[in-house]
Amino acid sequence: MNELMATMGKALHLLVSFDPALWEIIGVSFRVSLTAILVALPPALLVALVLARVAFPGRWLAISLVNTFMAVPTVVVGLVLFMLLSRSGPLGEWQLLFTQRAMVIGQIILASPILIAMLHSSLQSIDQRAWETARQLGAGRLQAFAMLIHEARFGVIAAVLAAFGRIIAEVGSAVMIGGNIEHFTRTITTAIALETLKGEFAQGIALGMVLLLLALLLNVLLGVMRGRGQQIVSA
Amino acid sequence: MLEVSRLSHGFGRRPPLWEIPHLRWDGRSLVHLRGDNGSGKTTLLRLLAGLDTPRRGTIRWTLDDGAPAAPPRFGDLLYLHQQPYLFDTSVAGNLRHVARWQGWRGDDARSRIASMLARCGLADHARQHARSLSGGERMRLALARAWLLSPRVLLLDEPTASLDRQAIDDITALILSLRETGCAIVLSAHQQSVLTERCDAEWHLERGGLQVGDMQADITETWPLGVNS
Repeated sequence: MNELMATMGKALHLLVSFDPALWEIIGVSFRVSLTAILVALPPALLVALVLARVAFPGRWLAISLVNTFMAVPTVVVGLVLFMLLSRSGPLGEWQLLFTQRAMVIGQIILASPILIAMLHSSLQSIDQRAWETARQLGAGRLQAFAMLIHEARFGVIAAVLAAFGRIIAEVGSAVMIGGNIEHFTRTITTAIALETLKGEFAQGIALGMVLLLLALLLNVLLGVMRGRGQQIVSA
Repeated sequence: MLEVSRLSHGFGRRPPLWEIPHLRWDGRSLVHLRGDNGSGKTTLLRLLAGLDTPRRGTIRWTLDDGAPAAPPRFGDLLYLHQQPYLFDTSVAGNLRHVARWQGWRGDDARSRIASMLARCGLADHARQHARSLSGGERMRLALARAWLLSPRVLLLDEPTASLDRQAIDDITALILSLRETGCAIVLSAHQQSVLTERCDAEWHLERGGLQVGDMQADITETWPLGVNS
């Protein structure tokens, strides 16, 4: 028990003393996940809008596929990308394996289904009159699309928070295609796994605390956004 | 000028709500579109606005001596929903959206918005959230947004439904002011009111056809011919 308390104390000390190694890992995690979200968001918005507003044959099949991809295990994404990006793979020439770019690609693949599914649900709940009103009042198609996103903004933010929460906490894809290289591709989750295996718990616990705090923050924000989004829809 | 030819529309496999072999309107008057609930007034207005595609027939508008179009440019012709959709922002913010879409900027946009708010009696509500307005104020805001565009034709779907007497008087005054600026208006209403009494003509959807009556001259044509004869 004393040993556990001592480890917790060391972990807290690492956090509050801004240990460079610890905060570098946190920085890599946030950089990779934020980049993935920023890249994934615009196409996800477009796909979600098409699924929500355009009636085409096979639309429900497409929606079912998106929902299915939400459940794909992260290690499966890691495995497929590893095979594609490894030296002997079809994309081996790009030399992306064990780089942050490869991790970003993996996280884009993991984030996109969540983004599309949540954005689709959010955009679908916006009244059809919103589009008609904007178009009749002189908005071009892009401007009307921007108006829809504005009307669904709380749902959009909730989708971004949920997707960000999923990818920053994933370990399977990050460790397989990132390689957990110190100062380069080591992230919060891959570092926790590595430090635990080495018997060094303090850094792992400190990083775990960061993830828990982040999870708490994201969930509080998600709750707030859902509440506000429902107010808009019912108005 | 509006020209409708062989128009019919319905939903699913049901028979058409109505059939209008021919309708010609000079696009200069205030028209009361009358009909019972479910007679297809909203359907007809949405088709005329180009928001829906008719099952059969053609609708052609000729505005400003231009070439006939189906439908004309949004902004020249506007349809207002029975329950107008107000954007999730302030009263003035709703007008700012329209100003931005028109490319108006700075003082020009501000002065247009301020004068429109004053004209529609909404100046005191400029900073209020649009969705906290009463039913009558919501309709006034919807009319203000439309008026900003100086439309040639307005299609109003039950603009006075479920409003109290005062609100009906306010909306009537606004619509008549719009009319005086040269905007032609077709408004649907299933009941008579102070507003419908001021209309120049009446279109009556009844028994699957449209009766066109000139309220001033008391001339009535019935489409399809023979339905009521």
